[in-house]
Amino acid sequence: MILALIENAFLSILGSAIPASTVVVLAATGVMLNERVGVLNLGQEGLIGIGAVFAVISVQEWGIESSWLALLAGMLGAAFMGAAFALGTVVIRANQVLLGLALALGGVGLANQLGTNRTGTPIPTETQFQELDPFGVFTDNEFFEAFLYHDAVTYLAYLVVPAALWFLLFRTRHGMTVRAVGESPGAADAVGASVMGIRFFYTVLGAAISGAAGAYMVLTITPTWSPDIARGRGWVALAVVIFAAWRPFRVVAGALLFGAMISFETTAKARNWDLPFLSASDMGFLLSMLPYLVTLIVILVPAGAAHLGRRVRATDAPAALAIPYFREER
Amino acid sequence: MIAGYRLQRRLDADARRTAILRVLGAVGGLVAAGFFLLLTGRNPFTILADSIEAVFGSKRGIEGVAVQSVPILMCALGVALSLRMKVWNIGSDGQFLMGAFVACGLGINIDAPNWLLLVMMGVGALIGGALWILVPAAARAHWGVNEIITTLLLNFVAVQMVVWASLGFWRDSSSMVTQSTRIVPVTLPRIPGFDSVSIAFFVPLILAVVLWIVFRSTKVGYEIDTIGGNPRAAAFAGINVPRRIIVVMLISGAIAGFGGFLQLTGAPGAQALNGGGFSRSYGLSGFIVAALAGASFLGVIVAGLFISAMFYAGIALQTKGLSVYIIFAIYGLVLVGVAIGETAARYRLQKVATDGGAASAAPTTPTLAEATP
Repeated sequence: MILALIENAFLSILGSAIPASTVVVLAATGVMLNERVGVLNLGQEGLIGIGAVFAVISVQEWGIESSWLALLAGMLGAAFMGAAFALGTVVIRANQVLLGLALALGGVGLANQLGTNRTGTPIPTETQFQELDPFGVFTDNEFFEAFLYHDAVTYLAYLVVPAALWFLLFRTRHGMTVRAVGESPGAADAVGASVMGIRFFYTVLGAAISGAAGAYMVLTITPTWSPDIARGRGWVALAVVIFAAWRPFRVVAGALLFGAMISFETTAKARNWDLPFLSASDMGFLLSMLPYLVTLIVILVPAGAAHLGRRVRATDAPAALAIPYFREER
Repeated sequence: MIAGYRLQRRLDADARRTAILRVLGAVGGLVAAGFFLLLTGRNPFTILADSIEAVFGSKRGIEGVAVQSVPILMCALGVALSLRMKVWNIGSDGQFLMGAFVACGLGINIDAPNWLLLVMMGVGALIGGALWILVPAAARAHWGVNEIITTLLLNFVAVQMVVWASLGFWRDSSSMVTQSTRIVPVTLPRIPGFDSVSIAFFVPLILAVVLWIVFRSTKVGYEIDTIGGNPRAAAFAGINVPRRIIVVMLISGAIAGFGGFLQLTGAPGAQALNGGGFSRSYGLSGFIVAALAGASFLGVIVAGLFISAMFYAGIALQTKGLSVYIIFAIYGLVLVGVAIGETAARYRLQKVATDGGAASAAPTTPTLAEATP
């Protein structure tokens, strides 16, 4: 009986953790791409907000019915913001931290303003992403159901995009140049790579993927617009990338941990779990902090372990992260 | 590009030029915001006139800005202090909330004479704010963990703590308001002649002057600026960099936390915690102020009063086409202007010798072909 209850809760957490993490997986993938070319984009909250609000506008204002086109609208909105950010950080080469925070603040403000009268109007079911059953044979097994019943965007975010990026970054010549631009732009420049061009392109691409995170959020997770839609997921994505040491599949794992905390919270609240010394409602407040605390611990532990073990380790971060490239200072 | 000129990068960044261009950039950001308002069908000139009317048109407006400026300036001073060391404390919202949280807890649970209670709450707020940044500070100083993300993540935790207190363990069950703690029994005295401004208004002003003096004429201030300029050089000069980083970050958090105490006891109608809304993103406004002022403490006061006026106008004009959301979008544009202004300060327009002037600007150094036999 108790075992069945645990299994039931476990499956419920697992089944909801995977889609709940998709937003962070996508945003963190965008962050990783930005940072691989040496651009620190702290504006993830803004990009998620812009992606979300443009997806909503495309559905409610422009009459788009296809979920894919709505996703594209969100990505384009975020890509436009990303291009403005790249203009400032890559072309003008202004301070990346300041511009990133400007994007976080301004993007959230702009998205909230654009969404002012859209709060509460749900996205129609036919425009939401629907769960697929790619392996129809397992339908009667609830374990496989929890694992495999997800929509196409989740499959893309968890498998296709990381695999493609891993191949691109670590198995192609272009990928080597891309990483070189983030590690040592001077050397990349010397062998003929266009540092500015590559940084600009991947900054915009990363922003578009972060925008897809926001669009997916309003199209499927909470199928309606609400102000401050990202609720910290952008900052979590930035933390996840540090934890993941800038590697595509570790990004997925890190984001999944955050999603698991979110769905643990939801499940525990829904089932009124309590502890001997904590009432269920107090437990709920504590659980709301958990995803952020776990994210914090997750980036502290590897750094602390490396330090306490006196292991001399080169930092995993791209060496030129957040440093503008001036050819004349090479 | 203007014909006959080209951009030349400077090796030095002159402080005065940087400050001027930073302000020009901020003005440029505001002009861009005007165009943005125009695009959305609002008249920026009407909004500007209404804002000025809302702020300066009545005693209520001026007092409103003064009340608003206390939390914003306290957060800004905390951020500016850590910025002197090139440490980005983005978590002053959380430190502000936790300062208020500790002060509130002491205020509603301890029975003491008013003056003693105020002192205890003030000290508690300092400790609360400092403790809230302790982990990011230690991780940054000893393990090199980026403080931007760690300080920011704790904001979300702080909001949950305050929500928990407001709905849970300190909730005022006699009140009709669902999300509120019990009211603290003590307030700071009002300034004579004002309806809503308490003596809390003077605290950030005095603190800014104190910090200015510390950085202008003490060894500690000089050492902190040295760390900000070049941490490796500072370490070679014998400065204990990790310890300085921790201490400065703790003080930075304590200042924001004390802002929470001043808000709780000084601002009209804020004598209880009411969820995360107790801080109306004062930490973010404070960050903008510190960036705009370029971490100059006296500049923080000027920039802080300006941003407070803007924030007050944003709230006052909600029915006339402005909103807090738009204010944040404008903050973003101002920050973009600041960043670009700072970059522009590192360039100069240099006259390029044209065909006519080529003869007069003959090269003084021999060319490679001439130098090699």
